[in-house]
Amino acid sequence: MSDPVISVRNLQVEFVTRRATLRAIDGVSFDIARGEVLGVVGESGAGKSVTGAAIIGLIEPPGRISGGEILLNGRRIDNLPPEEMRKIRGRKVAMIFQDPLTSLNPLFRVGEQLVETIRTHLPMNERQARDRAIDLLTEVGIPAPEKRIDGYPHEFSGGMRQRVVIALALCAEPDFIVADEPTTALDVSVQAQIISLIKKLGRERGMAVMLVTHDMGVIAETADRVAVMYAGRVAEIGPVRDVVQRPMHPYAKGLMGAIPTLEAATDRLVQIPGSMPRLSSIPRGCAFNPRCGEAFARCCVDQPAPLPVGGRHVACHLYETLEAVR
Amino acid sequence: MSPRPYVEVTDLKKVFDVSKPWLNRVIERSPKQILKAVDGVSFDIRKGETFALVGESGSGKSTVAKMVVGLLGVSGGEVTIDNISMTDPAQRAQRARLRRKMQMIFQDPYASLNPRWRVDRIIAEPIRAFNVVEGEANIVARVGELLTLVGLHPDDGRKFPHEFSGGQRQRVAIARALASNADFIVCDEPTSALDVSVQAQILNLMRDLQEKFGLTYLFISHNLAVVRHMATRIGVMYLGRLVEVSEAKQMFSHPRHPYTRMLLDAVPDLAMSGRARIPVAGEIPNPINPPSGCTFHPRCPLANERCRAENPLPINGVACHAVVEGRTLLMPVPA
Repeated sequence: MSDPVISVRNLQVEFVTRRATLRAIDGVSFDIARGEVLGVVGESGAGKSVTGAAIIGLIEPPGRISGGEILLNGRRIDNLPPEEMRKIRGRKVAMIFQDPLTSLNPLFRVGEQLVETIRTHLPMNERQARDRAIDLLTEVGIPAPEKRIDGYPHEFSGGMRQRVVIALALCAEPDFIVADEPTTALDVSVQAQIISLIKKLGRERGMAVMLVTHDMGVIAETADRVAVMYAGRVAEIGPVRDVVQRPMHPYAKGLMGAIPTLEAATDRLVQIPGSMPRLSSIPRGCAFNPRCGEAFARCCVDQPAPLPVGGRHVACHLYETLEAVR
Repeated sequence: MSPRPYVEVTDLKKVFDVSKPWLNRVIERSPKQILKAVDGVSFDIRKGETFALVGESGSGKSTVAKMVVGLLGVSGGEVTIDNISMTDPAQRAQRARLRRKMQMIFQDPYASLNPRWRVDRIIAEPIRAFNVVEGEANIVARVGELLTLVGLHPDDGRKFPHEFSGGQRQRVAIARALASNADFIVCDEPTSALDVSVQAQILNLMRDLQEKFGLTYLFISHNLAVVRHMATRIGVMYLGRLVEVSEAKQMFSHPRHPYTRMLLDAVPDLAMSGRARIPVAGEIPNPINPPSGCTFHPRCPLANERCRAENPLPINGVACHAVVEGRTLLMPVPA
């Protein structure tokens, strides 16, 4: 396998508040290779978006990266001074946000925003940048781009606006893109179009993509590998087919069973009792232990480390004992 | 003989006037603009079943729901619930009795509960308003009972809504809906603001309550998988019109209208069965200026001249010329 584009090692993110220091991300590690899509799923508050923001250097105080490292093409980027990071952000790493209306400036034409971004990062004159902007709009599937480039964001529909945002992220041909819930604000029929676009662009341009979403269906369609996050930790990470169809971590199992599907009509959905703990009161040991049906004494004391099991990594004591028995 | 359906909706219409102000119209010589939000929708709901309305944003699902419960006046057509007309002014007195029989659960449990009221007061409000039980002690007992019913603790009644999570708040909203002994509940996207594991809890709870009390649901959602899990029958809406009404099982095994097929194909495939699917094309058009004839024709692979000119009427639950003419066999088969 080639060297990973992005490599996250034991990342920790903390938010300092008056009462306590809250650890939003606690020891997250993963790699994403060229042309690969890593899906990150989990419920609200699991730390998906914070992980994305940390990689791209957008953690605002009082939040801070308190441990671990992030490597882009083998070079550390988590400790760069803000000025250095600004040059990388947009050029090497880019981000697609959830709400396309707030990520575009309503007062400027779409073309002006694209040209500005292109010229910030690439040595081009106005003319060349505009031609490139039209090419990008064509690539993301906007009909009649020569005309649409002079439109304002409000003249585009939700799906078309999200395409513009994707074009904006592609301006400087980044190596790595974080897509944070890119389809959550869209209707299903449009969502399907945007998913296949992101997938296609990732493949064709050999970008590494981190796709953050709470929609397991979107991950199953798009991602090559998936990380299931819970309370700031990765519960299970592995090839998408394995994790979606045969999850091993009790939380991942519960999560998959809780999703109603089109295929099988079941009378009852699997129900995980309780809800995600608050950051201020994450239980000792495995964060999932109070909600876990298979928890035993050790789960309440020791935090499980991710273990390689059957082609993936699972952070659960159940599989440790299995290994030991074998 | 089968009894009359519990809810009957006939040729329901709603138009909104979205014109510019009078002076602008005069100066700019622009005509009045009318938005047909709901255009001739008819369906019925049998007692004890879950009827689901699905469709993309702007298709008119929520407008129908609001008209059914009377939160929004109708521009045409009729709604009859339990043999009482919701639209006939002569039946005002009967309608007042009907009101307590129906309740609504809204999408956003953060916005639908008064943040300054304690939960027990929120739940007791319908009990007091409709005099369901008499006496303060009885009301307190009833509120505790309702909280237990939805999986909360009677002591939770002393808390304010902000002390609960999203799922718990939706449980409070359900308890409030049940407080007046309602038997018809309109649920407008009740789980779309919730995480999947919490959504599963709420959907299971709603089904348990339906079994226990024989509730009738009108269930609005854009999530087809959720609808599949909940509904007995399903109506698919597109641009204010009902394009297909089918039994839930049939809808998913044999979707008939081309739009229904497209919607089903667009749902991400969790099982990764690799089922063949037709890529989705286009977006929902602007309802102020809808396409002529069948409003779905610009996105439909089966559209012909007749579809562009003539609005299809529902026949056997499907409003589509192609289905009636047997042209669906020509639907392109994905490679």
